Amino acid sequence: MKRLQLQRWSSTVLSPRARTVNRLHQHLYSASLRHQSTAAPLQSEPQDASIGTNFEDPEVMRQVRSAHKRKSQLQYPSPPVEAATNSAKLAALHARLYLPSRLPVQTLARTLVDASADPNADFNNESLATLGHDLLTYYTSEYLLCKYPRLPLTVIFAAMYAYVGPKTLAAMAKEWGVDLAAAPGGEVDPGYLQFRRVDPGTDVNAATDDVKTPRPYANAAKWRKTVTSKIFYDDEFGDPIKGASAPGEGVTAEQASATFVRALMGSVYLHAGRPAAKRFFEQHILSRSLNISDLFNFSQPARDLARLCARENFEKPVAKITSETGRLSRHPVFVVGIFSGQDQLGEGAGASLLEARERAALSALKGWYLYSPLNVRVPSSMEEDGASPWEPAHVDLGEVIT
Amino acid sequence: MPVKGLRTVTTAQNGVGAFIHQCKRLDFHYCKYGGSSRGMLAFLTQTLPNFARENPQIELRVAPRPGKHPVIKGQYVNGREKAICVRNLEPIDILKKAMILKDASGDKLKRTKKPVTSINESVRGIWSPYHGDLRGV
Repeated sequence: MKRLQLQRWSSTVLSPRARTVNRLHQHLYSASLRHQSTAAPLQSEPQDASIGTNFEDPEVMRQVRSAHKRKSQLQYPSPPVEAATNSAKLAALHARLYLPSRLPVQTLARTLVDASADPNADFNNESLATLGHDLLTYYTSEYLLCKYPRLPLTVIFAAMYAYVGPKTLAAMAKEWGVDLAAAPGGEVDPGYLQFRRVDPGTDVNAATDDVKTPRPYANAAKWRKTVTSKIFYDDEFGDPIKGASAPGEGVTAEQASATFVRALMGSVYLHAGRPAAKRFFEQHILSRSLNISDLFNFSQPARDLARLCARENFEKPVAKITSETGRLSRHPVFVVGIFSGQDQLGEGAGASLLEARERAALSALKGWYLYSPLNVRVPSSMEEDGASPWEPAHVDLGEVIT
Repeated sequence: MPVKGLRTVTTAQNGVGAFIHQCKRLDFHYCKYGGSSRGMLAFLTQTLPNFARENPQIELRVAPRPGKHPVIKGQYVNGREKAICVRNLEPIDILKKAMILKDASGDKLKRTKKPVTSINESVRGIWSPYHGDLRGV
């Protein structure tokens, strides 16, 4: 009862443009309709404009034509394909990002249209973003696993989030100089990022019920979630998988910017091929600075270190004072080293013996976890032409479980 | 819980990988009749096409501003704007002003006192009084 059923058959009688927004019809016919710039506009032209105008005057005709064009653009949710070649903003963005010339500006314009702005999958960036997201997470995870084979899983999740998380991708889009459109529409310059904004007053962090996680007992309170189970049931950042947002819903600027960067990665891969996509990834994402040793948050480092030494058949770790000053003063400093037999595993300085010992254990654990083999190769490097034979990468036993 | 991961964001190092030009738009404003815009009009017709060809990463806008002095405005990636008035200037001088805006980072001008500014840790590390040979008192 929501929609007037009369329009379903009347649409064949009326001109194609007079069809109302029927999602099925829009999906079926929009591909052919979008390119018809000669089709009659939705409403007939106002009569007073045509009376007394000289149609041979090129200036008048130019205005009439641009008015037609504007009106025809207004009925689309996103800019038409032809508008991409006329956008100075888009061409400047293409050049600023050193995108390969094989990537046309039309595709770049499509990556800037979010699914919340144009629900038609033929014109929004959803499919490109899906491909780009898979590529980004694949390249990042293989880099992290090969470069730091001993990282604990929780730290890998954090590092993945730091490299290709939505926050980072949104910051990248901002640093690329991508402007956000106030509201999406067919008449908007295609150089703007177009998305429907979240209604004011909406709680963005509110827990949604449409969580599409495959995890059993996901809603059961106090059901223990192991870190290892996150590999199977959760996304690449260790978060529960959320379902796609409803078509009428808005998205935040951060989400839309992140989707744009993913879609751009996908379109570089599709148009310019794998080497160009790899180069794009290395130049824009891997080149950003991240100190992995800042991502660790130990609760009981001394205990973890004892367990690690037991597992690796090292001698028991012993903390020894290396040097100290001002034990009875207001600011004592102790330097404590942790030794396993004759080998010093770590060293730390602190204002109390306990603090110094904690720091020493921490540095010993980080020294273990942050081991990085020399001359690391990633599996995807085998896809290059003339790649040397693959040597197996270091695979570690895993983190210490206490 | 053995170890937790802390969520952060990677920091950009412009130029380490790709270099993103910081000036994203240049607006050229002129007056069709004003005498102070004479040089600007010559610049727009003669020099600007070449300038645009050499700098595809910058969006260029030319807009009349009747009854006012000619101005070049630069929009930057960090959201700031810089403007230079180019009244009574020759085209060659206007090009120099446009180059100033083009090459600017958009930040406020600040004095650099150290030869190197870096987010990387010092290779030598921080001096510690507790390590190395202790001097006898």
